[in-house]
Amino acid sequence: MTTFDYLMGGFAVATRPDNLLFCFIGCLWGTIVGVLPGLGPLAGLTLLLPLTYKLEPASAVIMLSGIFYGAMYGGSTTSILLRIPGEAASIMTCIDGHAMARQGRAGPALVVAGVGSFIGGTMSVVGLTLFAPPLAQLMLKVGPAAEFALMALALLVMGFVSSGPVLKTIAMVVLGLLIATIGLDPLTGFPRFTFGRIEISEGLSFVAMALGLFGVSEILLNMEDVLSVKPIRPTLASLIPRAADMRASAPAIARGTLIGFVFGFVPGISHVVSTFASYAVERKLSRHPEEFGHGAIAGVAGPETANNATTGSAMIPLLVLGIPAIPATAILLSALMIHGVNPGPQLVSEHPQVFWGLIASMYIGNLMLLALNLPLVGLFVNLLRIPYAWLAPSVLLICIVGIYSVNANAAEIGIMAAFGLIGYMLRKLQFDCAPLLLAVVIGDRMEVALRRALIISDGNWAALAQDAFSRIFLGAIVVLVALQCIAWRLGVRRKDLVELKSTSEENPT
Amino acid sequence: MSHSIRTALLVVLLATTCAPAAAQEKFPSRPLEVIVPTPPGGGTDIAIRLLAELAEPALGQKIVIVNKTGGGGLIGMAQVVQAKPDGHTLGGLWNAPLTMTPHMQPAPYKPTDYVAISLADSAPTVFCVKKEFPANDGKEFIEHLKKNPGKFTYGNDGVGGTIHLSAERIFSKLGVKTRPVPFGGAGETLKNYLGGHVDIYGGSITPILPYIKDGSNKCLMVTSSEKLVSMPQAASLSELGVPDTGTALWHGIVGPKGIPAERVAILEKAFREAARSDKFRQYMEPRGIKVEAASGADFRKLIDSEYAAMGDLMKSIGLTK
Repeated sequence: MTTFDYLMGGFAVATRPDNLLFCFIGCLWGTIVGVLPGLGPLAGLTLLLPLTYKLEPASAVIMLSGIFYGAMYGGSTTSILLRIPGEAASIMTCIDGHAMARQGRAGPALVVAGVGSFIGGTMSVVGLTLFAPPLAQLMLKVGPAAEFALMALALLVMGFVSSGPVLKTIAMVVLGLLIATIGLDPLTGFPRFTFGRIEISEGLSFVAMALGLFGVSEILLNMEDVLSVKPIRPTLASLIPRAADMRASAPAIARGTLIGFVFGFVPGISHVVSTFASYAVERKLSRHPEEFGHGAIAGVAGPETANNATTGSAMIPLLVLGIPAIPATAILLSALMIHGVNPGPQLVSEHPQVFWGLIASMYIGNLMLLALNLPLVGLFVNLLRIPYAWLAPSVLLICIVGIYSVNANAAEIGIMAAFGLIGYMLRKLQFDCAPLLLAVVIGDRMEVALRRALIISDGNWAALAQDAFSRIFLGAIVVLVALQCIAWRLGVRRKDLVELKSTSEENPT
Repeated sequence: MSHSIRTALLVVLLATTCAPAAAQEKFPSRPLEVIVPTPPGGGTDIAIRLLAELAEPALGQKIVIVNKTGGGGLIGMAQVVQAKPDGHTLGGLWNAPLTMTPHMQPAPYKPTDYVAISLADSAPTVFCVKKEFPANDGKEFIEHLKKNPGKFTYGNDGVGGTIHLSAERIFSKLGVKTRPVPFGGAGETLKNYLGGHVDIYGGSITPILPYIKDGSNKCLMVTSSEKLVSMPQAASLSELGVPDTGTALWHGIVGPKGIPAERVAILEKAFREAARSDKFRQYMEPRGIKVEAASGADFRKLIDSEYAAMGDLMKSIGLTK
């Protein structure tokens, strides 16, 4: 039997009426938790997990994975309309997506995000179908040393994310890395900067920080000047992307697919980092980098495609090796184990209906999500008609309920509020919050990766560059730094002049 | 007139004296809440949810699982200790927040602040190596490690975690020196072990089982005094001459101190029966987990001895607060 025959067998499982229904429930619930700020795929999965105990294993994973990739569709909605990230993977979408909404172009932004999500999600499942076993073996080769090199590369690339001045970006990165050190030392268990509070001994909650810096600060900024935020009335014509939008989005979607799929292998934080990387690449390659931050549609299309493209590759380690690489797939692992299905090398032979049924359902689910999300654009855009005085408190309430419902930890509401104030001040001083958040995500992983690598090598720093993957990533760092130095040597080119001009006129974003 | 007043008084008196008695008979009178200090979907969460579902019929009430995470389990456990001791709020936990983390972090409770109700299950940790590793049983394994002090690395569940401490407890007694590499959990440990980044897998049995079945790996040591039926190659601690150093990863039910004794008895009976049920056994046993269904008194003894042992161990390896 070929892969195609197995896949057809999978479709036979996935198209059973009950499984279609479970797939739809998962996708719908995923969209909802994606749209609601604070609730992300993880919360969505954990809330529905107990309900799947009574289902058969294939139906359970079909529904639960629907939540996982469905949330990547929904996340863009509030990012674009309100500049409040619906979930962590939609932080970058806030920047240009909301700028487009301010220009009355929320419709095209949402449509492009939906189409990009569909293409990224579907292509990622194609990759999962065709290359899962070899890619899983490749993934095993990425150890702590290579992970450290990859994180260092991501940190460097981050310099291209921000449209602000370099010094301010570096300041934000350093602050983010400092924040990442809060919590127990991963090696000695010594509490760092916790002031004896057990609430923050595991570090500050990333979702709470992201909601504070992007969501709460946005509401505070708008409150200060209520008159300027006028409800925008959308017309049908304004919902449809123009030909120029499609031309600008198509290459961004193609690159976003590739970036997302590759970043799907980064353990723990793939969906977040892929969006930052995609945004940085789009901005660097664009002929008009000055448009980024002011409504560049490629800045929406790229990241929104990338976060969906991680979903297929994130499934590979789970299905082929039985290893969950990110928290969301850890929940899927539990769901399978409860039913006595142990994912791992024997999954394909012992439970083909689960393995291929799940993969087939992901093709169907992505189609369902496209059909579900495009008509919703017209509905969601109407949110902007609600006067801000009513909208702001309701959104704030949803944020608070959302953040509390994830861990039932009241301290996280406090963290969100504190970072709302910090974000407000930073944005008043024209600092960009995106590099700060990415530095927090990366700093955390980078530190443990480095320290693990050094324990393994018994303190030998040379070991950091001894395996093939770390050499590839370190090589990329050297090339990027060299290119940047050459660019500086050659002097400031015209493109950079424009950039310089645009940053000096920067709005407080 | 005076007669009717006297009757009324008598009725009131009777009513007030009888009311608490009636309430005492009817326990539990409303749904119970079991606080689980981990995110949903982990091993502890699954075990406690299953146990709670099976205890519901005996108690005649619904049991609601509340996941309260943070502080390595201390936050959720603190909430259990502070709850009203009427038996309606309980905690479903694993070792660390009771016997390990309090030595490392300022825990807002002492071992005397809670009552042990029942121990549900326990699973030892296994230590496994690739099939090329030059040792084929537990004794050879330990000898090889002793001959090469500080050479080998083992992956574990994080510093101060159950697997890290259960390994150090044995290694320090046997005089073995290895380098523990802390990972985020069994999944990450397995990935780095399979990828060849660490030499020894230390963790629960389930994740490594598929790789034992296909013959590419072998487990040489188990952290219990008895051998595992499913892994005859793994030496028990009795065979290695240190039977009293075993630490298993266990799950059990505790409650705030001050719950009336007769209520503790009702809860103990219900949870022990749930753990003894076929459904619980059928879930646990294929995973190499032993069903304990132990009494509150036995659970208490386990907690106290483990708490003391962990305190000494953590002091010796420099992990205490």
